[in-house]
Amino acid sequence: MAEELRVAAETTVADLDRRAEEAGADYEVGLESLSQWQLAWRKFRKHRLALVGSVILGSFVVVALIGPIIAPFEFLNVPEPDQIVYAGRGPSLAHPFGETGGLQRDVLTLVINGARTSLFIGFSSMAIGVFIGTIVGSIAGYVGGFVDNLLMRVVDVMLSLPILFVILVFARFFGNGRGSPLLIVVIFGVFSWMGISRLVRSLFLSIREREFVEAAKAVGVRDRRIIFRHILPNAFSPIVVSASLIVAANIIGEAFISFLGFGVDPTSPTWGNILSSALTFIPVGNWWWPFFPGLAIILVVLAVNFIGDGLRDALDPRSRA
Amino acid sequence: MTKYVVRRISQAIPVLIGITIVVYLILALAPGGPTARFAQNPRMTNEAKEAFKKAWGLDQPWPIQYCRWMGICNPNASNVAVADGFLLDHIPHPGSFVGPTGWPNFLPNFISGSSNGVLHGDFGFSIATGEHVVTRIGRAAVPTLILAGFALVIWITIAILIGVFAAIKRYSFFDQAATVFAYVGFAMPTFWLGIMLIFAFSGPGLGILPAGGITETRLFPAFGTDAYWAAFGRNPIGALLDIGKHLILPVFTLVVVNIAGDSRFVRASMLEALNQDYVRTAKAKGLPGRVVTFKHALRNAMLPVLTNIGLEIPFLFTGAIVTETIFSWPGMGNLTIQATRDFDYPVLMGVLLIAATVTVLANLLADVAYAFVDPRIKY
Repeated sequence: MAEELRVAAETTVADLDRRAEEAGADYEVGLESLSQWQLAWRKFRKHRLALVGSVILGSFVVVALIGPIIAPFEFLNVPEPDQIVYAGRGPSLAHPFGETGGLQRDVLTLVINGARTSLFIGFSSMAIGVFIGTIVGSIAGYVGGFVDNLLMRVVDVMLSLPILFVILVFARFFGNGRGSPLLIVVIFGVFSWMGISRLVRSLFLSIREREFVEAAKAVGVRDRRIIFRHILPNAFSPIVVSASLIVAANIIGEAFISFLGFGVDPTSPTWGNILSSALTFIPVGNWWWPFFPGLAIILVVLAVNFIGDGLRDALDPRSRA
Repeated sequence: MTKYVVRRISQAIPVLIGITIVVYLILALAPGGPTARFAQNPRMTNEAKEAFKKAWGLDQPWPIQYCRWMGICNPNASNVAVADGFLLDHIPHPGSFVGPTGWPNFLPNFISGSSNGVLHGDFGFSIATGEHVVTRIGRAAVPTLILAGFALVIWITIAILIGVFAAIKRYSFFDQAATVFAYVGFAMPTFWLGIMLIFAFSGPGLGILPAGGITETRLFPAFGTDAYWAAFGRNPIGALLDIGKHLILPVFTLVVVNIAGDSRFVRASMLEALNQDYVRTAKAKGLPGRVVTFKHALRNAMLPVLTNIGLEIPFLFTGAIVTETIFSWPGMGNLTIQATRDFDYPVLMGVLLIAATVTVLANLLADVAYAFVDPRIKY
């Protein structure tokens, strides 16, 4: 009994010691302070929808990378119809997303293969757009004056044009319905930089006047270093947030262009060109054919938007976790 | 105020000029060029192609072509370029700026006597049908205005209602439901929604609504023709009902997809207004909540919403491109897709130019209206 009590007392003391130590350690971490990224990650984790979005997008990326390898059917393997059914067949155990009309292809296989191209197009075209937009915006915002005026008028002109029309026309001229995914990426990239460049310019205009830039200038830091080391990192978070919007818009835009038959060659499936052949099967009621690729688009775009929201909260230094 | 309007207009002019240049370049520098449509024609020799180019002035350097297309230059002037120099070859001769009557060529027809070019309302001829581009666009604009007009009015009304109530009852079930709806609506591709609606309502299952078109082709002649208007005159109620039936699905599609963004916008604007000091003051004075909400907050919250509506006016001309394609609505969207299919340069240029011009004018209008409505803004 006494032995037990003693042990209990000791453990309590040990516990207290450990707790104190931990508290001390905690305190020290506090002193060291979390880096900006750790802070952002902590806030991002608290954003439930953003986490859901990350999981959805992550699983789509996994599907896009390894899905075509482990899927039961290969994309290029068009089945020998065991029975001539023009109308296609609805979801079943063997084909959970159903079979298409006509060639009776497995819709799940199409959707999995489409994920690869659609995600590739969405993200790479965003990268091109952000790259061009950041350069144009930085030049306009940093140099100012006549150059700024000229570049921003160009942006005004581009933004007044109905961009989807222009993309459509370019896809038709250069791809003619047999375009490679790369071509579509370039076309979308070249026409999605305007918003970013306006944003970057306005960020530059405000950051340029801050004290740390003035200090850097005063000690004789060169322009290039000021732009890349002092201003751009501070402009990072709004750029990331609007980049997520571009991804979403370009995935939908590509689907539409391919749906019309001006986009990616049908031999590299995207969610858009899978949908495109479904339209002729409306009279026979194959709802599963367009339904699942469309669902994939909605899920990815939702996920990207959620992540964008989460990033906006996480990267905003004024919001606290 | 006047100064602001003048400044705003003078900013819009270079943009408008830039638009004409970009539109011209996009289509003039496209591969193939205007003779691309002869590629499959075995009877078209190279000489004939050159002759065709010469006849239409397509052998000229592009600044001169652009100048004529705009209607600034007189295409019938004898001397084309300034001089034989390498660079000066590309600049229009001063003489070509003068119209037949001796006045500058770009002035209206009754002064300058010329009628060529965009500035005189001449967008050329459609390659596919041989009609005037203006005629084709005019014919396509009517159905688009009907469809987009209905959709715009309905979705803005609903978006304002949803946004305002979501803001008043913040974090309530209604607000959360509206948020979910907005997220999903935002992510939903218009064309997919259209297809699914067609499946649901015009497929073999229900089959109660038409899948596409603007009129029942078995009952009425093609929309917009003289025969159609004659039939319309004989049975106006039936014709209107027919159009109405065809409107339901496309309007529903547009409304669902577009409510999402706008209702969020209204909600944010309303929340901001509800947080203002004057709302608290009004409440503190003891005014009933309804009066505060609808008189003090709502009226101020509507200012940015009004601007936003102004920015959506171009949608009346372009926004329904996707929906029109799905429902084969014979409007501007469909015309654009057709012209893209046919490599119909003049029509594409016309559509792009008109759409971009409308966008610039709508932006201008929205800015000026905002400055006019909101007295707090000083320029």
